[in-house]
Amino acid sequence: MKTITIQSIPGFEEWRYAARSCLHQGISPDQIIWSDHNGTHNDLFGDDLNIPLKNYNIKISKAFVEIAKVVICHHDTQKYALLYRVLWRIVHENKHLLNLKTDDDVMKLRTMSKAVYRDGYKITAFLRFREMNHDGHAQFIAWHEPEHYTLERVVPFFKKRFKNMNWSILTPYRAAYWDQNNIYFEDNPDPEQFPKDDNFEQYWLTYYANIFNPARLKKEAMLNQMPKKYWKNMPETKLIPDLLRTAEEKTRLMINASKNYK
Amino acid sequence: MSDKLTTKLEILADAAKYDASCASGTAGKREAKAGGSGIGSLTGGTGICHSFTPDGRCVSLLKILMTNYCIYDCHYCINRKSSNVRRARFTVQEVVDLTINFYKRNYIEGLFLSSGIINTPDYTMESMVRIAKSLRLDHGFKGYIHLKTIPNASPELQEEAGLYADRLSINVEMPTQQSLNKYAPEKELGEITGAMSNLKNKIAEAKQSKSFSGKRPPRFAPGGQSTQMIIGADGSDDKIILGSSVDLYQKQKLRRVYYSAFSPIPDASLILPLKPAPLIREHRLYQADWLLRFYNFKLDEILQGTKDNMLSLDHDPKLAWALNNRHIFPIDLNKADKFLILRVPGIGAINANKIVSIRKFAHIAWVDLVKMRLPIEKIKPFVIVTDYKPALYLLEQEHLGLRMKRTEQLDLFSGAHLQNAS
Repeated sequence: MKTITIQSIPGFEEWRYAARSCLHQGISPDQIIWSDHNGTHNDLFGDDLNIPLKNYNIKISKAFVEIAKVVICHHDTQKYALLYRVLWRIVHENKHLLNLKTDDDVMKLRTMSKAVYRDGYKITAFLRFREMNHDGHAQFIAWHEPEHYTLERVVPFFKKRFKNMNWSILTPYRAAYWDQNNIYFEDNPDPEQFPKDDNFEQYWLTYYANIFNPARLKKEAMLNQMPKKYWKNMPETKLIPDLLRTAEEKTRLMINASKNYK
Repeated sequence: MSDKLTTKLEILADAAKYDASCASGTAGKREAKAGGSGIGSLTGGTGICHSFTPDGRCVSLLKILMTNYCIYDCHYCINRKSSNVRRARFTVQEVVDLTINFYKRNYIEGLFLSSGIINTPDYTMESMVRIAKSLRLDHGFKGYIHLKTIPNASPELQEEAGLYADRLSINVEMPTQQSLNKYAPEKELGEITGAMSNLKNKIAEAKQSKSFSGKRPPRFAPGGQSTQMIIGADGSDDKIILGSSVDLYQKQKLRRVYYSAFSPIPDASLILPLKPAPLIREHRLYQADWLLRFYNFKLDEILQGTKDNMLSLDHDPKLAWALNNRHIFPIDLNKADKFLILRVPGIGAINANKIVSIRKFAHIAWVDLVKMRLPIEKIKPFVIVTDYKPALYLLEQEHLGLRMKRTEQLDLFSGAHLQNAS
């Protein structure tokens, strides 16, 4: 049995190096225990995996590398073993494995990659900046709690969209800072940097409450798209209980108002 | 915080919520230049939903009216002249500030602006264009702008709007002139489609890479145009509605037709129904619209077997078609053309692609269908796979439609059917 600990987050390069070495040495998936930086196992990685890779010539499809880069951002540490097992099976069993969309391992891989994609998308959607004045310059700061290690995946989006703004995105595991020229990362940032209020947020709440149509209540549809786990850091969600509670009455009032119309 | 601005926002957001569209994609990719004061990007995808309201709708754009004062008296409209709703009017600067500040906080993808008509159509349209122009030129705004144009404003103003907007739309509201006469006496169907046709030509012109002079024509509404019809306020049946959609897609090259189930509005006119139109009818129309645009269905196929030219509320239009065409089924998923696989109720485009991908390397068996999480009860009578063939009586039984209705209802309660109308 071999224990391999991936120290970095999300750790694709580290995993790839270890996986290549194991593959090269013919170590089968059931011979390895994978763990991450939280793992209690000692690092037994040692020198035995540290072999030169120049003779290594197994070609791995781009499709696998692409999906591996996504899945490695998942929070579940089973990802390391799953990725290695799929890699092993692609090499030893069927090079078209990824096309067998109903294979159990492939399905697990797709489920994990979908979860990561969705989590990244939800950052671009649900992250909220608050503005604060910092030495005479506007600084936009957000606190977001992604489910997976997806901050790095969305930084390019925010760089493009808010190129000419100074912004900080704080997450529990890492922060990204943009000063209009460079991006900086910091592990375990101080959440206290996130401002307590914002001078435009009240307008956003006003908008949210009034664009909602109480005559068309579809709570489940809302929850499918915006599950409660995201609510905590979205200011408008504190209005939802009230909007739901008063919807029926507001609709009745609208209809009654129509009846009185002459 | 200005209380006055809050009140305006309350009134003018409230007035905009009856418009179904909130789409913010399909205008290509772009981003602000570095080093300037520009802001914003379009990702080239379908646009981002930044929030969801308890009506299940996506909040992607700041959707507001510039003003809800109006000189027209359309019965279905909360802002008609004779209604006594609270009125308000934004200044150009207020709309620009709200848009930029919402955008900077990552609340929205851009602005969707419509308006009641004040003074004259041209006067109104000119103010709307000034808002879009200021966003683009004064702020270097690269986010999404959708302008609801005023049909009888001058062609010059419509054209200027197209320079700054990503999408232009004109609501037809009602599918026939008779309905317009009754409910929107100031509106002319000919005028509306005339304006659409003018925009269509401009959009097509701008899409050509180079004109004869060798110069690229200026950008013009790269997201195309869309429209909205109100469902259930007038007596139009689904055949009339979908027929008019087909016309709009073909003749006016519209990107989207939105259907908005009539919803009771405060202070409504007496000639309107008091009850809201069933949301399920709106949903069926979207499903039918989808089949027409992406599944190669023809209108008469969709209407086949319908009662009084109304889509079945019990069955989705694809299932209704299948029940009327049982002789085509069962379909062998290992052999059939993709075209036919797409005709199986319960198998959508994504799963049809999966099936085609898998069968290149392996045979499709029943367990594959289960793993794809296809609605098993629904597809059971209609498909053949290596280890499963439906008993013939399944397709022949009289009550198949009734049984299907029950499975469909289970779907409805799970909320899984709810497509985002945006």
